Amino acid sequence: MMELFVQQLIAGISTGTIYACVALAVVMIYQSIGHVNFAQGEMAMLSTFAAWQIMDYGVSYWVAFPLTVLMSFVLGVLVERVLMRPLRNAPPLSLVIVFIGLLLTINSIAGYVWSFTVKPFPTPFGTAPFLGSAWISQHQAGMMVTTLGILVLLFAFFRSTRVGLAMRGAANNPTSARLLGIRVRSLEGLGWGMAAAIGAVAGMLIAPVVFLEPNMMAGTLVYGFAGAVLGGLSSPAGAVLGGLIVGVLENLAGTFIPVIGGELKLTLALVTIVLVLVIRPQGLLGRKLVHRV
Amino acid sequence: MRGQLAIHDLTASYGGSKVLHGLSLRVNAGQITALLGANGAGKTSTLRAICGMLTRQGCIELDGRRIEQLSTENIACLGVGHVPDGRGTFGALSVTENLQLGAIRRSDRLSVSQDLDRIYDYFPILRQRSSQQAGTLSGGEQQMLAVGRSLMARPTLLLLDEPSFGLAPLMVRELFKIFRRLNKEQGISILLVEQNAHLALDLAHQAYLLETGRIVFSGTPEVIRKNDSIRRAYLGN
Repeated sequence: MMELFVQQLIAGISTGTIYACVALAVVMIYQSIGHVNFAQGEMAMLSTFAAWQIMDYGVSYWVAFPLTVLMSFVLGVLVERVLMRPLRNAPPLSLVIVFIGLLLTINSIAGYVWSFTVKPFPTPFGTAPFLGSAWISQHQAGMMVTTLGILVLLFAFFRSTRVGLAMRGAANNPTSARLLGIRVRSLEGLGWGMAAAIGAVAGMLIAPVVFLEPNMMAGTLVYGFAGAVLGGLSSPAGAVLGGLIVGVLENLAGTFIPVIGGELKLTLALVTIVLVLVIRPQGLLGRKLVHRV
Repeated sequence: MRGQLAIHDLTASYGGSKVLHGLSLRVNAGQITALLGANGAGKTSTLRAICGMLTRQGCIELDGRRIEQLSTENIACLGVGHVPDGRGTFGALSVTENLQLGAIRRSDRLSVSQDLDRIYDYFPILRQRSSQQAGTLSGGEQQMLAVGRSLMARPTLLLLDEPSFGLAPLMVRELFKIFRRLNKEQGISILLVEQNAHLALDLAHQAYLLETGRIVFSGTPEVIRKNDSIRRAYLGN
């Protein structure tokens, strides 16, 4: 019993790192434009297919990986340029519809080009048990280390670089930022690019687990959203924490609460979103914005 | 000396409705110019039009260079510092980060940190609150932060939109002393929009009177004080 618990806990943490990655991407966009991008998962899926295609041409993983991240960055910048700019002053509902449209478009295109049959996706870390442990595989360990690395890099970027500070300023008060000479629009493009690049990493890391197909990110995105909301949409560190908690919760509840089992796991994520929004809308680490007049 | 602004026949509109109707004014380099007028006369709109925040037509020259076609960002980079109406606080960021954002276009790290110290000397209360979330500051503290943030960019021309708004009288006096010092010691030109006409005239070298989007009178503070009808309408005695 105890062994099963620990095993599920660790499995939860390792899938949680993927949710954390997706949540990070969601938070990145939310920070720069104040909306959540529902097409984030599909963009990650498209990136993963691109990586698969590159490797299918005979290119090695270690070339395909950075190439995909780079291409995804460009894709993110393009989405901002082409789709988001004309909608600069559009009401939130229009944006939501555009995001959903983007989601369906990418999903269908991927299905058309690569078909809906599942494909295996390689892992660079190997599938053997990690250091001979029965609880965690090398791939799971690799996912954790990668996510942690991304988090540390992002944190350093936002806290101690000028561009990072400018991005936070632009997100917080765009008008005031422009008066200080900050090119807010270019920074929004950068935010989209970074989010798409993080999404690509998440996609390539989870593809070996869930297998590659156009709907592979559907569930992951919901868990990622739950993680982002739980941790706080305004906090990258919160997104990672939230993602991990959702991963653990999902695994433990699925294993130990018979009613939930495998079928109601996704419901649990949605219930989490609703509960957090009702009880603590700013999330665990999110900042509650204070206004004084 | 830099920071000279010449505006000729400026019109500007919000959406469809015109708010400025052929306005002309000058801010001489190294001088303080006050822009007076009642609520809704177009004072804030004038400052916004200078910074490209409104659709505008006419001619705006900064140090002899036409800027009416430039974006807000580019105008800021030319040395125009704008302390906006509503203070423009980055509420989720710390006080220090707000000030650092002011200097975001500068690359001379060492003098930026010296300037940060100088701002904290001007406004000691901000030093006490340096790591606090800026949104939690009082209105007066946020006003000081707005001025400090704008100074961090080392502007040659400072546009001040009601800097006394929400400040205690004692603090207002301090703040205006700082403006005078900045103008005298560093030669920063200032265009000052102010409700409190007495205060503005005490500080300014030149003043303009704005009524429904047009300049109706201009002159030195002495001339304005001597004009009976203006005194009755704007100075209340």
